[in-house]
Amino acid sequence: MATTTAVVRHCTFRVGSHCLAIDAEAVAEVLTARPVTRVPLAPATVVGLIHRRGRIVPILDPAIRLGLPTSAERPNATHLVLRLGDDDWYGLLVDEVLDVIDVPAAAVERPAATDGESPLIGIFAAADQLVHVLDFRRMIQTPLRPRPQSS
Amino acid sequence: MQDNSEFIAEFLVESADNLDALDRDLLALERTPDDATLVAGVFRSIHTIKGNSGFFGFSKLGALAHAGEHLLGRIRDRVLPFDAASSAPLYALVDAVRTILASIRDTGGEGDHDFRDLSRALTAAAEGRPVAVAAAAPDPATPPAPAVASEPAPEPELRTESPPRPASQPAVQPPAVVEAPAPTAAAPAETTIRVDVGVLASILDLVGELVLARNELRAIDTEDRSVSAASQRINAVTNALQEAAVKTRLQPVDHVLGRFPRTVRDLAVACGKEVRLDIDGASTELDRSLVEAIRDPLTHLVRNAVDHGIESPADRAAAGKPREGRLTLRAFQESGSVTIEVADDGGGIPVTAVRAKAVARGLISAEAAAALSDHDVLQFIFEPGFSTAAQVTSVSGRGVGMDVVRTNIEAIGGTVDIDSRPGLGTTVRVRVPLTLAIVPALVVRTAGERFAIPQAAVRELVRLRTDRDGPRIEGLPEAPVLRVRGRLVPLVFLDRLLGLRPDNASDADGTVVLVRIDDHEFGLVIDGLRGDDTDAGHALVEAAVLTTIVVKPIGGLLAQVGMYSGATVLGDGGVVLILDLRGILRTTRLPPIPPAADAARAGGTPFSDRYLLCTTRGGRRIAMRLADVARLERYPRTELESLGSRTVVRRDTGFTPVVDADAVLDTPAGPAPDMARLVVLGDEAAAVAVEVGVILDVMAAETALQEDRAVTVGQGTLALGGRAAELIDHAAARRRAETGIES
Repeated sequence: MATTTAVVRHCTFRVGSHCLAIDAEAVAEVLTARPVTRVPLAPATVVGLIHRRGRIVPILDPAIRLGLPTSAERPNATHLVLRLGDDDWYGLLVDEVLDVIDVPAAAVERPAATDGESPLIGIFAAADQLVHVLDFRRMIQTPLRPRPQSS
Repeated sequence: MQDNSEFIAEFLVESADNLDALDRDLLALERTPDDATLVAGVFRSIHTIKGNSGFFGFSKLGALAHAGEHLLGRIRDRVLPFDAASSAPLYALVDAVRTILASIRDTGGEGDHDFRDLSRALTAAAEGRPVAVAAAAPDPATPPAPAVASEPAPEPELRTESPPRPASQPAVQPPAVVEAPAPTAAAPAETTIRVDVGVLASILDLVGELVLARNELRAIDTEDRSVSAASQRINAVTNALQEAAVKTRLQPVDHVLGRFPRTVRDLAVACGKEVRLDIDGASTELDRSLVEAIRDPLTHLVRNAVDHGIESPADRAAAGKPREGRLTLRAFQESGSVTIEVADDGGGIPVTAVRAKAVARGLISAEAAAALSDHDVLQFIFEPGFSTAAQVTSVSGRGVGMDVVRTNIEAIGGTVDIDSRPGLGTTVRVRVPLTLAIVPALVVRTAGERFAIPQAAVRELVRLRTDRDGPRIEGLPEAPVLRVRGRLVPLVFLDRLLGLRPDNASDADGTVVLVRIDDHEFGLVIDGLRGDDTDAGHALVEAAVLTTIVVKPIGGLLAQVGMYSGATVLGDGGVVLILDLRGILRTTRLPPIPPAADAARAGGTPFSDRYLLCTTRGGRRIAMRLADVARLERYPRTELESLGSRTVVRRDTGFTPVVDADAVLDTPAGPAPDMARLVVLGDEAAAVAVEVGVILDVMAAETALQEDRAVTVGQGTLALGGRAAELIDHAAARRRAETGIES
């Protein structure tokens, strides 16, 4: 995958004013954001649960995980549903799904400063802006701050 | 070869079935060695394995099966008797085939076990020579295994090659015709097929989606009759479809019980006992995941029974019992759960020894122990303290690993109960829910969020009152308790536990869900059940009994929160988290209930002691066993159809007879509201809907049932919530519904 000739298909989306990309292979569905069921005590990135085709899909907010600013109103909020495995479904809360593009692996650069834990594993230039490549698995595996408890 | 993998997988499954059948038939043959049909069955099983292994080129397997087939041929042709000498190598053959199949499954190859001795033993047995004589016998060779080296062949029949069987036998059997010998027992018509579990799961998922779509459809308010009629039909079909889809998950418990004849035989031989095993209800169905989950606990119980329960033949004879001990496995289904009994007629467990041991181990005080019934004392067998070998010998060898059995069964929402009579035997009753994937649950509400609690753990619902007399929260703010019939039950505030509200929130009213899980009992304080604040008790309890949820996994990320065991989608499309009561226990570190209090709790079968408390339309207090209650439903009175003197309602499953509760009690009927509130008792075919006035609560009885008015009415009276209520049981309601037809 990381060879110089390989081309990776990315799905790009917007979170706040930032442009992110994720391996398009994992994208199962794009839905208009719907009401979620809150999950008390869950990591702060977990927005809540929706169900889709008989499955319970936790929706995560990359803005919280990455510390990106978002406006309070997210009029075009969208759920980007990812399928990682048979029973492993997740959704990303994004502000807009932009495009699906093929990016030569060679065009993706390592981000300047990686702490080894950052879920942002690459960066490439598309059209008029820089796109960060998000490793979703890493995003859910790396430590997440629990939601502050009210006590 | 890789093209074959699918077929090989099928071959493995089929062969496993064949082997189970073989074990069964061999055991049956021990009893009736002359049964030609059985011999033919065994022959066929072996032959099928041989044929398939030849097809796939499993030569070792083929050679063994061939040798076995040869021996069986001679038994079938009555050249040899079926006795210990001829059966021993056959049992060994079954084991060897299992070993090879396991190797094929795991590695794709036959493995390098050496079965030549077994081959020789089979061949020798076929010659009618003692099995021990091995050397002279040639390797029986099927075409793919050109192993025939020495061929001393003292007798012509010994040649296992194939056709030649000259001799005097009725020659029924040239190998080409092997399928023929039992035309009477010809394969029954195929009524089952093998289906990938994944396909079934996806069907179930899709049905779930359909149910939601159906709900949306129902919510549409329309004046158009044809639309509402179509919607009604879709509704009925969807329900039926859902039920059918759920059934596809069920599997007969025979998948577990079918192995036991062999286990018992081997154990009995090893222990020098004579044991006869009877299996009853092997076709009882259970969710496939649970069938697997009960395998180990049941095996343990069966081993215990043979090893420690049933006495040696000599001891039995001395005690005036038949030398042969009896072990009975009985499976049956009753309202949403399956019970499996493991009963032996052995020496039983000396209750006095258990009592003494419980006191000695400090599990209970001597006075308390003396006050306990024998049945309650026996339950100590399941305490971890009773499970080490040294202690077990002093308790007549019973109790090995019984705590593990209980832990495993409780982990799948089941219960275990033991009964024993000295000298007469021991019965262990394992009760598990029909399915884990679809369970009845209570949907509760707190701080504006909804959560589901599996009903199996729910003992009782208590509504807190602000007035002085009613149930209220006592104890220190840090350790709140609720007084329930003299016991103090610790309380957990769900809203605070989940960080939904600050710790100092008011707790004046609300509802307590009393739950019992493992050795713990606690009350979960919630705002209310499903429904809204103004809607008090009745509708709430209704929701409690009504909701059947499909448990869905929530993934590792959320599982690590430790408070939720899954999630479900409710009829309104909303996702609701299922509370993990064990997780809550771990988090809150509540102490277990002391065993004494535990034993003092209302009897050993909590579920059957719980009642749905209602009134009749005429205002009388009535109770129905929760175990009998299948659903609570409401129908417009116009949908109750009269057929002569009988009333029926069309439900999802067909027509169900309806009977007014007052009619069951022979008391005057009350006013008939537009909406009929029905309590459906019993499952499907036996279902009967009892019309009631108001549903009050779910409670445990405070007194034992007192049978008055006896058989004609078929119920009794009990105390619920400090007042008497008359019982209406399923049989009584059914009887009344049927007399309705006659009159």
